[in-house]
Amino acid sequence: MHGLIKELRTNRSLYALGLPGMIFLFVFAYLPLFGHLLAFKDYKLRDGIWGSKWVGFTNFKFFFGGEDWKLVTFNTIYLNLLFLVFGLGFALLVALLLNEIRRAAIKTVSQSFIFLPYFISWLVVSFMTYAMFHTDGVLNRALEAVKADPVNLYQTPGIWPLLLTLIYVWKFSGYYSIIFLAAITGISSEIYESATIDGASRYRQILHITIPQLRSVVIVLALLGIGRIFYGDFGMIYGIIGDNGMLYPTTDVIDTYSYRALRQLGDFSMSSAIVLYQSFLGLCAILLFNWLARKVDRDATLY
Amino acid sequence: MFYMTAALKTKPTTGDRLLAIAVYAIIIAFALACLIPFWLVFLNSFAEESVLQTEGYKLWIDSFHLDAYRFVLAGKQVAKSYGVTVFVTVVGTASALLLTSTYAYVLSHRRVKYRNVLSFLTYFTMIFGAGLVGFYMLMVSWLHLKDSIWAMILPYLLNPFYAFILVAFFRNLPYEIYESATVDGVGDFRIFFRIVWPISTPALATVGLFYALQFWNDWWLSLLFIDDRDLHSLQMMIRQLMSSVSAASYVGGGTAYVSQPPTEGVKLATVCLTIGPIVLLYPYVQRHFVQGLTIGAVKG
Repeated sequence: MHGLIKELRTNRSLYALGLPGMIFLFVFAYLPLFGHLLAFKDYKLRDGIWGSKWVGFTNFKFFFGGEDWKLVTFNTIYLNLLFLVFGLGFALLVALLLNEIRRAAIKTVSQSFIFLPYFISWLVVSFMTYAMFHTDGVLNRALEAVKADPVNLYQTPGIWPLLLTLIYVWKFSGYYSIIFLAAITGISSEIYESATIDGASRYRQILHITIPQLRSVVIVLALLGIGRIFYGDFGMIYGIIGDNGMLYPTTDVIDTYSYRALRQLGDFSMSSAIVLYQSFLGLCAILLFNWLARKVDRDATLY
Repeated sequence: MFYMTAALKTKPTTGDRLLAIAVYAIIIAFALACLIPFWLVFLNSFAEESVLQTEGYKLWIDSFHLDAYRFVLAGKQVAKSYGVTVFVTVVGTASALLLTSTYAYVLSHRRVKYRNVLSFLTYFTMIFGAGLVGFYMLMVSWLHLKDSIWAMILPYLLNPFYAFILVAFFRNLPYEIYESATVDGVGDFRIFFRIVWPISTPALATVGLFYALQFWNDWWLSLLFIDDRDLHSLQMMIRQLMSSVSAASYVGGGTAYVSQPPTEGVKLATVCLTIGPIVLLYPYVQRHFVQGLTIGAVKG
């Protein structure tokens, strides 16, 4: 205690500089943790968070008693895995290809186009998706032009994991490929030179030099994704799917589910139970992530 | 050395040439696929409403009209929404940069004995979140920020991830700067604002752009806390137009038009007005993002 006061006094100007940040974290990251208490209470607005009755695990029993929790947990993991595998995989391909392009103008222009979708909001993406795929949209007009049957994608749940993956790849390929390109630039050119002298074709050089050298970057990004696997992208899913109940079976994730419980049903306790379940799973995923990271690759440890 | 350059200039094989053609084809196709939705939205915002209604979006239009823009700009909503989005982005980014950089500086400073404790407490917020309910109650019941413009700014002022990027940057600054300045009797505030801040411009610019993009594109906070139409950001305006039954009444000021309001065109025009500034600043923005991501990748 004495040491603490002494430290605060000696470096008071430094701590003063950091004070706004500390207050911010306390208010916006630590105070809301009390919200988790509601998971064990029957929250009534007039009784407040402290006055409401304790109900033990009732909310959890209700949540786990139904079928929804399996569905939203599955969707969250499944969609995130699809995004991770195809998002990173395609971005890696894009980076490898961009790196092979020798004409600077084509390279710069294509890279700019590919990176552009990263900069727009999910609502704009949602608008574009709707313009493409709704019953009177670009896709159906094209199908009409070739005399094919129109498709009603906004009432076809089965197609959405694919569509959402395509949208994800479209939006993030540029972002991830820049990270990969930066890593490729870091590979020593001597390795390529000696391979050329040995008569290795460009194809073999990519396969046996570039890809193995990118291993740790890929692992870092993949593990980061695994750490976030229980967190659905609310902006993306709710922006694109919104309140279209037809599509919930394949697109509803934990985040959209708890949002609806809170905002549309006004059920704070229920929503809180779901959120605590998610936070707990998320924590497990991060611990697993750290363990894996150390196990798989020493260079890949992030934290 | 001569031997090497000679070897590098050997003629490409047929396989290499085929590979090169495939490479160009795939990249150009994908780049176009990325661009086409933008092209469709931009071009068709100039299309005639009747054509949009009957024929849908086209890759090329024959006649250009400004009706949709005239209609949107005649209304009151777009000015309000632009005001809200610009205010939130400017004030938010400036405050976020100030808060994040000062905090990161303290976390990075060798003299701060408890910097590891602080780092852990910061890191912990990334791995165990409070979640939606606690956050909602904080904002609505405790801070009373429902329908306040600050609801769209305050929650994003300190992103731990960006703070750690800055911590890594500050740690790499030569320590002698502080030592000589301290010997000269310069206080910590002045060292930070007069010495550290100016030499950290590249890192601050990148983090600032990340924040600015987040503030400009956000609609999650508005969705949760903003019902008042006067506080609808541009993103919320798009959302309303996409779901709202009557675009004319939402946009406002439609009295100048006796004929049918350009419902489809209005959405396109609003989307263009929203992403317009990003696209205009894109060359500058892109350069800084690429630099920032490159620094991150090399370090990570």
